[in-house]
Amino acid sequence: MASLLQPDRVLYLVHGEKKIRSSLSTLYFCRYCSELRSLECVSHEVDSHYCPSCLENMPSAEAKLKKNRCANCFDCPCCMHTLSTRATNIPAPLPDDPSKTAMKKAYYLACGFCRWTSRDVGMADKSVASGGWQEPDNPHTQRINKLIEYYQQLAQREKLERDRKKLARRRPYMPLAFSQHTIHVVEKYGLGTRLQRQRPGAPITSLAGLSLKEGEDQKEINIEPAQALDEVEPLPEDYYTRPINLPEVTSLRQRLLQPDFQPAGASQLHPKHKHLLIKRSLRCRKCEHNLSKPEFNPTSINISSECQVLLTLTNPVESITHVTLVGCEEGDPEDINSTAKVMVPTKELVLAGKDAAADYDELAEPQDFQDDPDVVAFRKSNKIGFFIKVVPQREEDGDVTVSFKIRHDFRNLAAPIRPSEEDDAPTEAIWLTHHVELSLGPLVA
Amino acid sequence: TNSAKNVAKIAAGAVVCVESEIRGEVTIGARTVVHPKARIIAEAGPIVIGEGNLIEEQALIINSYPENIAPDSEGVEPKTMTIGINNVFEVGCMSQALKIGDNNVIESKADLGRNMILTSGCIIGACCQVNTCEVIPENTVIFGSGCQRRVQTERPQPQTLQLDFLMKILPNYHHMKKTVKTTSAVTPAKN
Repeated sequence: MASLLQPDRVLYLVHGEKKIRSSLSTLYFCRYCSELRSLECVSHEVDSHYCPSCLENMPSAEAKLKKNRCANCFDCPCCMHTLSTRATNIPAPLPDDPSKTAMKKAYYLACGFCRWTSRDVGMADKSVASGGWQEPDNPHTQRINKLIEYYQQLAQREKLERDRKKLARRRPYMPLAFSQHTIHVVEKYGLGTRLQRQRPGAPITSLAGLSLKEGEDQKEINIEPAQALDEVEPLPEDYYTRPINLPEVTSLRQRLLQPDFQPAGASQLHPKHKHLLIKRSLRCRKCEHNLSKPEFNPTSINISSECQVLLTLTNPVESITHVTLVGCEEGDPEDINSTAKVMVPTKELVLAGKDAAADYDELAEPQDFQDDPDVVAFRKSNKIGFFIKVVPQREEDGDVTVSFKIRHDFRNLAAPIRPSEEDDAPTEAIWLTHHVELSLGPLVA
Repeated sequence: TNSAKNVAKIAAGAVVCVESEIRGEVTIGARTVVHPKARIIAEAGPIVIGEGNLIEEQALIINSYPENIAPDSEGVEPKTMTIGINNVFEVGCMSQALKIGDNNVIESKADLGRNMILTSGCIIGACCQVNTCEVIPENTVIFGSGCQRRVQTERPQPQTLQLDFLMKILPNYHHMKKTVKTTSAVTPAKN
């Protein structure tokens, strides 16, 4: 809920490497450690690549080949929106009978946001809806490829040198393995897979690599060093007097999105293929398990009477949950943001489990929880509304913030069942305590 | 006469729904379609709308008094607002511009100030508020939250298909305002 309304009203404190306070919609809960985790306490791993407009999934290797770009979708070079293909009918001579003309479909790319079309840069209309559009070739491709090859060979040589040195100093009892450093050197110019491919049958040990390498004839790649020119092309004569055609000048952003050409004129802005996005998986750094979704929904705030605040708490699990609220004690190191004192209900609150069928069951017996009307305002299936009293401490204008601790029981239904010799005991409940901060808004005189 | 001032002169062939609000001295050309809930209000002077325009729901075309002039002050000449042909006023836009040429598109929730002059082929993007005192050159596109500009190479196509469709379908579901046979031709002011 916090993601839809007022995301920063209720903050939870996360004990990670840094103490982070953020709303529940941005937090995760590790079932194995039973702790809250924020995005900074987890490691992000790339799962797969996909295109944001055609949602085509591709594995990482294929994405690397295609330079992390989608093959079908284009971005507008003017406003970076996704381009759509439009069709028009143009009269074209029939192949059989040149004198007659028939309507043929011609396709062009258009942007719905800034109204850029592929005809603006002189790209001809294509006769196929997709696959006909090509990005212009980079004139420096050949030189760049040659340079890459040369540097890859250099990296290989460096790696062999290092391995040779390591071998010379190797003690007989030390295991033979790729050192961390050599792996980095191998990866420096993207050499990793190529190395392994060159020796399909041989085991991957540095010793074996060395002996094989000397036998192979290495292709010597020579590159010409870049030449520094003395003479530069002179500026055109009317460079200072020619009036600027402002719509034709590209913005820096438009220019830098095309690093191959960096055109200064808008009539040279060609569309580029769309960049791929990644799906990431989050892994808890402490227990190395993949994370699951958070348990509790955040609360909604209704300021009804002067100093009494009504909070709602929703129980997302299907079992009964017991919640106790405790105010922060004096000198609590986590209580740094509160500007008001809060009196929380002392009794334990009981929330019924979530029952998806309860909404439709008219004959269900009303839940019998014997609520104290001073504490509990209303109760509806797995939701409860209760009062807390707020006493602002400071008189100056500012936001009223209160903090307290929520203590609740949690049954980990997804944990692996430990085989026990005794009869099956129900899943143990553990008690979790969270530090919560509520932002109630500005003080009104 | 006073009564003539408050009756809209709708040319034959225009389709103006009864649910639209037309106040003041408004002239509407042939083949123009005015959707229900569109508002054309001529407070501070008459409005002349040319042919083939498409004015969609909740669009507001208003010839209002400038902010610093009270409605009752004397010596204020009523200025005529002229709108050319083949313009499109999309849903929810507001236009106070005194002079609009041909083939312009004012997209949804755009806001045009009184001192703007649109030539032809201009596109004012969705939610763009343009309140400057200038003449927008031909084929300009204003888009984005920062009201960026660029120039198109071709003007937007006139919405003839849409107009034909609406002129057939709208009378099936709405009552139309009465058209007036005007003997004097309504000349849409060009440029």
